Amino acid sequence: MESTINHSCVDCVLRPDRLFCDLPPGALQAFDSIKSLAAVARGTVLFREGQLARSVCVLCEGRVRLSVSSESGKHLTLRIAVPGEALGLSAALCDRAHEVTAEALEDLQVAVVRRKDLLRFLHEHPEACLQVVNLLSQDLHVAYDRVRSVGLGRTRRPRDVTV
Amino acid sequence: MLSPYGLDIIESCLTCKMRAERLFCDLPTSALQAFESIKYATAYPKGAVLFVEGQAPRGIFVLCKGRVKLSICATDGKTLILKIAEPGEVLGLSATVSGKPYELTAETIDPCQVNFVKRDDFLRFLKDHADACFKVAEQLSEKYNNACHEVRALGLSHSAAEKLAKLLLEWSSRNGEAVKQEPRLKLALTHEEIAQMIGTSRETVTRLFADLKKRQIVQAKGSTLVIRNKQALKAMATNG
Repeated sequence: MESTINHSCVDCVLRPDRLFCDLPPGALQAFDSIKSLAAVARGTVLFREGQLARSVCVLCEGRVRLSVSSESGKHLTLRIAVPGEALGLSAALCDRAHEVTAEALEDLQVAVVRRKDLLRFLHEHPEACLQVVNLLSQDLHVAYDRVRSVGLGRTRRPRDVTV
Repeated sequence: MLSPYGLDIIESCLTCKMRAERLFCDLPTSALQAFESIKYATAYPKGAVLFVEGQAPRGIFVLCKGRVKLSICATDGKTLILKIAEPGEVLGLSATVSGKPYELTAETIDPCQVNFVKRDDFLRFLKDHADACFKVAEQLSEKYNNACHEVRALGLSHSAAEKLAKLLLEWSSRNGEAVKQEPRLKLALTHEEIAQMIGTSRETVTRLFADLKKRQIVQAKGSTLVIRNKQALKAMATNG
């Protein structure tokens, strides 16, 4: 897959527009040294609901569908993640299973960081930790909106359930 | 001295004995001292509203004692209870961090002690204290997890019976009751409030409880509910 993304976060021109990536130089260099880039084909599942979070994926290019599912196999889309978002962040921070399934809607480029490296990085770089707090707050706002639309919508049954 | 609402107010976080067990409060001494200087210890009676959905964020509320009902409201007045917050939880966190309006309404269901911190003070505190910032990230993650769980429960459950069974199983899994053959749980909410937690009507909840009792799946002893047949409740939770 041909990518327009730089291999180094330090040289990435798209960085200022990206939520997670807009870090001060020191933190950025540290992040650069713990991440590994990966190309992911469309349709690939990055992680599944219920899997233990071992790493976090920062989305460099492409879109990802985040969904929840029931025991009977029905899916409900929570939201579509766009470049600059860190996927699997909340599960990794709490050391618990992923609460959503992430599936690539397009060919992706992601920066993968192992959980323990991320925790060390956040402890050493408070500005990155603050960035993460901001990101999580935004995710939470979107999740509450979704709760509102699903729980208080006019119809009893969800409209966008796909079997 | 008997304090208002029967609450024994904890004036200082530094001497609080419950600190170690609380998710947010277990901070290193320097961060705790800084927090101590910016917080206001306040007491509220039952039924007090801490903040309302849509209001501009004034700051965070750390719940020290008592429980708080967190709900969202539709334009037609229909209410959905998201969670009953327990001591140690920080309320109004994401709105205070992002500057967006509070997305929930927080109302006390017991007499509560709450430590309030103004938004500007809190943001400065987070910048200065990395440990506290990390704890906030953990709290936000927990809340996100809870919101996803709520979307799943509301959006992907077939029936009110399934949702009620799930809720009762979730409540009965707390306080070491999960391992028991017949777990007990204290019903702190009214049928109306339970209906608001699972997005159905009060009448449906009353009917479902009557049905559960008739089938001897649950038994009520005052405000305590005994789950007599956990397997049947589990079957209801998976099949609806």
